[in-house]
Amino acid sequence: MPQATRDVNAKPEIKTQLNYKDWYASTKKKAERPALTQEEKARPFAKYFRDPVPPDPAHLAKMDTPCDPAKAIGPEHMNDLLNPGYLDVEIGWCNLPNGAGFIANCYQHKGVTAEMIDWWFAWHTLEDLRYRIWYPPQHGGIMISPETRKRMLDPSVPLHEKNWGATHHVTENCDCGMENIDISFMSPKDFGFDMSRWKEPFVSTFAGGYGWACAVNKNDESITAPAMMCHIFRTIPGGIEHRTRFWMGYRFSNGKPELSLPPGIEVPVAAVQGLARHNVKEFKNLGVLLPEIYKELGGKMEV
Amino acid sequence: MPIKLMAASRRRPGLTRAEYFRYIEHYHGTIARQERFKIASYIQNHVIDGAFGVLADRTHQQVSDRECVVELYFDNFPDMLATLEPATPSAASQDGKFFADEPTNVIVMAEEEEIPVPTPLTTFNAGLGIVKSVGSLKVLQYIMRDDEVYREDYYRYWREAHESAMEKSPYAREQMRRCVANKRCRINDNDGAARKHFGMVDPPVYDLVVSMWFDTIEHVGAFRQYNEALQAFPTKFANWSKSLFLYTRSVPIIRDTPMN
Repeated sequence: MPQATRDVNAKPEIKTQLNYKDWYASTKKKAERPALTQEEKARPFAKYFRDPVPPDPAHLAKMDTPCDPAKAIGPEHMNDLLNPGYLDVEIGWCNLPNGAGFIANCYQHKGVTAEMIDWWFAWHTLEDLRYRIWYPPQHGGIMISPETRKRMLDPSVPLHEKNWGATHHVTENCDCGMENIDISFMSPKDFGFDMSRWKEPFVSTFAGGYGWACAVNKNDESITAPAMMCHIFRTIPGGIEHRTRFWMGYRFSNGKPELSLPPGIEVPVAAVQGLARHNVKEFKNLGVLLPEIYKELGGKMEV
Repeated sequence: MPIKLMAASRRRPGLTRAEYFRYIEHYHGTIARQERFKIASYIQNHVIDGAFGVLADRTHQQVSDRECVVELYFDNFPDMLATLEPATPSAASQDGKFFADEPTNVIVMAEEEEIPVPTPLTTFNAGLGIVKSVGSLKVLQYIMRDDEVYREDYYRYWREAHESAMEKSPYAREQMRRCVANKRCRINDNDGAARKHFGMVDPPVYDLVVSMWFDTIEHVGAFRQYNEALQAFPTKFANWSKSLFLYTRSVPIIRDTPMN
């Protein structure tokens, strides 16, 4: 809906909706991470817009240099994530021999549950500020389409399914400058997981899909880059274990991952390392933020 | 076929339509056969007729003539790039300027989604009634997304509009033999080099091209009935003034016999 016709009395979760044209035009401003508006400052979760909790330097340092590509996995081996124990690379990044970018990260978040994860990945889509509190230094804003918003606010859709088929339009800096990233979430089945193995204790929940990223300040030479994103979670005593995998340069074709790089081209090292470092930083902060905010607002979508 | 390139072109200044068709089919097509690279299949859709925009438009809001839509099919994206951007420029890539008005080309890299139709097999002529989902008239409908609508909602609304239009169009329900939604792949965003090469300035971006097959051009009224209902769908999703449809005759240039 055009901004001029927006209902100023609507709930914040509705009022924030912009049409595609207006949203796209707004991203340049969002990329500057503007100060909160008076309306945003009045939101009960504005207090979480604060300096983030930094990651353990030793953890971040594991992203300083690439890991051994021979120990990394491609998306065709995603089901190895359902094996007990750990894979050879749980924290690291590299370029795979085919040029794709590979990222792995792993956290144990105390006090976090699968329910919290499911709620967070749906809840944060509804307003810029919800997304910005996740990692204020690098998160500019978020938008979803009117139909996706209906789904997010539909109480008949379970929290863990709300994102299946939903696209998040985020403005985010993954250590390589502000980008507009369209992240289309999928069910674990559609993503390619073997659902006969999809059970506790090997997996508790999942948030993943595929994305297309392009610089906010794009020009005719800018590249729109594809990637597969996988956040898989399993319950551990006292919390949850979060394992990330990114496969940059892949897109889905007819439901299957397909390398989509020009022959002889590698995903730039700076982009792979940048996303890896960003992932360490944003999920450290989320791991601390989530138990706090869930205690206050958890379970419901509207605030 | 996982990915294909659809290139809509019009003839270069000074050529008649007959000269254009002769050139693109018999010369350009032959070059492509001789220098196949990794093309899985290549169809030329020669335009018989078509319409651009809607009756309510005072004047055209787009290039309002198209002679051909070329469809190049590839098994995967690397094959597409290996063919379109070989180490040494292909003869085919150098040949376009001799028949096409290249700066006005419209390129869509698309992935196909088959949309089921109620009557894939003709009931009209027993002589045609042995193979499903074929027809000698192929309609290509380029539907411009309304710039206020998100892509994901656009595809959803189009599908709803399509189903509604089919419901309201008994002639189309009876006569549409096949329908394929060609959805633009975001990889298409990275065609800056091609746009530069062809001198294309801000070419229109179509997120959806729908291919529909009918038995013969005599049945094109079925499409008109369908199209009227499609455009009347109450949810806004398309800019019809910047949309177009083309009635075409398919000319296979490269099409191997499917192996069982």
